[in-house]
Amino acid sequence: MRRHTRRIFNICYRFTGNRTEAEDLSQDVFLRVYRTLASYRSAHGGFATWATSVTRNLLIDHYRRTKRDRITDSLDDKMPVVENKESAGRRPDEQALLGELSMQVQSALTRLSPELREAVILRDLQQLDYAEIQTVLAVPEGTVKSRINRGRIELARILQQMGVRPA
Amino acid sequence: MTWTCDLVEARLSDYLEGLLQGPERAEFEAHAKSCADCAPLVASVRSLVGEMHSMEVLETPPRLVYSILDKTLGPRETVTAWQGFLNAIRGLATPKFAYGAASVMATLIIVLGASGFSLRKPKLADLRPAAIYQSANRQAHLVLAHSVKYVSDLRVVYEIQSRLRQDENNLQTAPEELLPKSSPGKNPGQTDEHQPSQPRQQNRANEVSRQLQMLAAELPLLSERSVR
Repeated sequence: MRRHTRRIFNICYRFTGNRTEAEDLSQDVFLRVYRTLASYRSAHGGFATWATSVTRNLLIDHYRRTKRDRITDSLDDKMPVVENKESAGRRPDEQALLGELSMQVQSALTRLSPELREAVILRDLQQLDYAEIQTVLAVPEGTVKSRINRGRIELARILQQMGVRPA
Repeated sequence: MTWTCDLVEARLSDYLEGLLQGPERAEFEAHAKSCADCAPLVASVRSLVGEMHSMEVLETPPRLVYSILDKTLGPRETVTAWQGFLNAIRGLATPKFAYGAASVMATLIIVLGASGFSLRKPKLADLRPAAIYQSANRQAHLVLAHSVKYVSDLRVVYEIQSRLRQDENNLQTAPEELLPKSSPGKNPGQTDEHQPSQPRQQNRANEVSRQLQMLAAELPLLSERSVR
């Protein structure tokens, strides 16, 4: 169970960029998994894939629910943000937890649109293969590849705007 | 194939993941190196993907696991050893277990009682195998003797009763000879316990069948009355 908890927590954290939200969402994922365990059919892929689907669905739901709050933030998003301003919102232990560049990438991730964000997280951070991502996102493989590609390119552009130089 | 910047952008991930083969790949690289827009793009995306692959996996905050367990399985109370023991005992307080325990106790008491172990003055000496065997043996013989005596007493009573009934019938139907004498030497009214003879049993059978016939004769009258 720890293995699954860690994976789900990481997906939630990478998607939301917020530790507290990630914890709450992870709990919700497990509650949902626990309650709907009966509906899990092994035909849909392994348990891990199914749990990832549940996670992804909850993240998207959460994103849509909190969209209203984000509209006011979108003005800030358009402007290039220097790293210090971002890290001011983080607790010191969080900063210690992530490397500098990692934090920047994380920050850039949260600026990505949700479809691209989830594709990049699943591919580059969770190392899932295309077939699994296809199952989790419930879209064709071509769409998966296209989203991953656009997500990566967009992410690189955001980092560039933030003033982060590629290593 | 002529690679344009748009095409390069569209196939960038394929290139980075090694999905482009041979000449296609060579031409891609040729364009990417020479193009002022594509070169930095390819470089930055490549380094970004490398960075993401080496981003550390975060450890789950410990309270998250407990919180999940709480919410799914219910809060776990810390119990002392004594409370835990009591809880276990409480779990046994089902009717099923109570019946089982009661029957086991009853069996034990019966067996102990049969073995001669007195509950009022318990002595460990009573539980010796030799003592138990002796008392069991004695009790078995006693029971056998009692039952033999009971059965033979029963036979005596039955014979007396049947003899009395026969005498009554003799009085009622005097002209008829009901009882062919089984042994001419014996007086009627005396039973011969030592030689139960076939004719006497036949007498009884005749007697019973005669009485049944009388009943059968009366029965149609009875049933006629009940029908009306």
